[in-house]
Amino acid sequence: MLILCQYPTLLLLPKKGNFPPYTVNCMSRFRISLNKALISFLLVFIFSASNQVFAADGEALFKANCANCHKPDADYTGPALKGWSKRVPNPEWIYKWVANPAQMIASDAYAKALFEKWKPTVMTAFGNLKKDEVDAILKYVDDYTPPVAAQAGANGASSGESDNSLLFGILTLVMAVVAFILLQVNSNLRKLTDEKEGIYRTEPIPFYRNKTYIMTMILILFAVGGYYTISGAIGLGRMKNYQPVQPIYYSHKVHAGTNQISCLYCHGSAQDSKHAGIPSVNVCMNCHMAIKEYKGDPIVREDGTNVNGTEEIQKLYKYAGWNPDTKSYNPDNNGDGTPDGAQPISWVKIHNLPDHVYFNHSQHVKVGKQQCQTCHGNIQEMPEVYQFSTLSMGWCINCHRESKVDFYNKESGEGNKFYSIYEKFHKDLKDHKVDSITVEKIGGTECQKCHY
Amino acid sequence: MKKIATLSVVVLTMSLAFVSCDSKREPGKIYMPDMTYSRAYETYAEIDSSLFTGDQSMRGSSKIYYDNKPVTGTIKRGELFPYTLPNDSNGYKMSAMVKNPLDSISAADLKEAGRLFNINCAICHGEKGAGNGPISTSGKIGGIANLTLDNYIKMADGTMFHSITYGKNNMGSYASQLDRNQRWMMVKYIRTLQPKPASATDSTKTK
Repeated sequence: MLILCQYPTLLLLPKKGNFPPYTVNCMSRFRISLNKALISFLLVFIFSASNQVFAADGEALFKANCANCHKPDADYTGPALKGWSKRVPNPEWIYKWVANPAQMIASDAYAKALFEKWKPTVMTAFGNLKKDEVDAILKYVDDYTPPVAAQAGANGASSGESDNSLLFGILTLVMAVVAFILLQVNSNLRKLTDEKEGIYRTEPIPFYRNKTYIMTMILILFAVGGYYTISGAIGLGRMKNYQPVQPIYYSHKVHAGTNQISCLYCHGSAQDSKHAGIPSVNVCMNCHMAIKEYKGDPIVREDGTNVNGTEEIQKLYKYAGWNPDTKSYNPDNNGDGTPDGAQPISWVKIHNLPDHVYFNHSQHVKVGKQQCQTCHGNIQEMPEVYQFSTLSMGWCINCHRESKVDFYNKESGEGNKFYSIYEKFHKDLKDHKVDSITVEKIGGTECQKCHY
Repeated sequence: MKKIATLSVVVLTMSLAFVSCDSKREPGKIYMPDMTYSRAYETYAEIDSSLFTGDQSMRGSSKIYYDNKPVTGTIKRGELFPYTLPNDSNGYKMSAMVKNPLDSISAADLKEAGRLFNINCAICHGEKGAGNGPISTSGKIGGIANLTLDNYIKMADGTMFHSITYGKNNMGSYASQLDRNQRWMMVKYIRTLQPKPASATDSTKTK
């Protein structure tokens, strides 16, 4: 608003500057009419501007001037503004207060009480706001109704992927039993017919001593048992789909998906260090100083219960030692350098590599320019994070066999300078002997790259 | 006969032993713990805190050490000197006198600054700095600064750095996410987002 007021004058000034040589040579009559024209022009401008901005847009004014500290319907850095008229001593009070709060605190009893409640913050003086602008803001505040959160799409929990293997297993078993009974019936019938026809046969061996049966059973057991044993042994140390319960129900879907926060905002050390890093609590508080409650779409757990987002944020405040009522950290009385009651959050690490493997995030994120999602899956769609990849050696090697190296290009100056030592590859690429070089070719699958 | 029975029992138990405990809430089983768990102190590992604090009453307890800060007074190689102004209204006023130690910024650095801006700042301030990032437009945090406005064009580099370092109003401190050099780079980058001063009189400030 302030800017809008200033720009017209800025625009007018050079125009005015064109006139002096003319006006000096003219009679004063001309000057007067000129002034009149200027004034009327200015008036028209202000009028039209006020039509656009001042009267109509209390919301814009509120957002530009007040929203830093005030919310219409809730206490923030300053009090909630809705219903102000019932609280202030007289309607004129509010204009005086907006123009100069400090002076009011010194002279007015209600202003002093207000300051006592919200100190040490003193409201900034808005002497530049005109009366009708203040009116527009107050009207916006009084008419304000909170937007209704969309309740649609609540039942996001899918039950479509039910596991049919149990059903099939039971069916197979039933069929096997039926087949077995039929075989027995068959042999009995044959026995009967044989007796009728007077053919003598040796007493049939019972099935449990029948060598064919025994052999089949052993083979089946061997195959099934062997399959499970081997796949179980391979799975040792692999934790795909591992989804531990975390101390706070932190939804990556809400943060990285709905709110589009970059992964590196919180996990910034992924570009500088071996570890992707868990953000310290102050990073959470960057936003959660202001965001006290969850108002988005309901988050549903797998068992169908709803997550109370606001409660989860309260947990964060407890860990941070933050008092949402006073909007400040607890004092540090025990002298440990952190607010009293603050403690680190014991997140449970999901992606674990054995100690005999070296993995460095910065190599992959900053140098290799890999997306987080390549290994971690669509994190921005996971309410609760689980391990997406197997993190097995074969999985690593596969990617190294396929990923193309970003060579340094002397002409464009782009690419990774480190690889300029591989001049031969460079030449081969130029001569079109090969069309790309994979990580494997530059030693990316050598044992010592990861095991040392 | 007995042999077969015992054999089948052995095979069954072995396969069961490997297959069972397949809950996704529990970490899987590992072999060779010596090769899986680090003997060295790994980041975020829970450690007997008496090893670090010398406080023997804490013996056997395990705490997580998130911020193993460098020794007080040490400066990383190539790192700028610490910013000494305190986080109070006086420091804020004085910050206007602090000059940006980066005289000029290379194109590559500016690109990097832009990348960091998009990660750390654009979420609220918007990619063009006009205060219209996703958090701002969805109304989750109110009153986000439009950095292209006149009062931010006039704001001194040092004051901007001060605000990024300590936070201002609803904005938190970004000192843990951006080092000093990056913060000064950020100030340079924000200047490129701002429109050129409207008239000649305004251009006395650092551009």
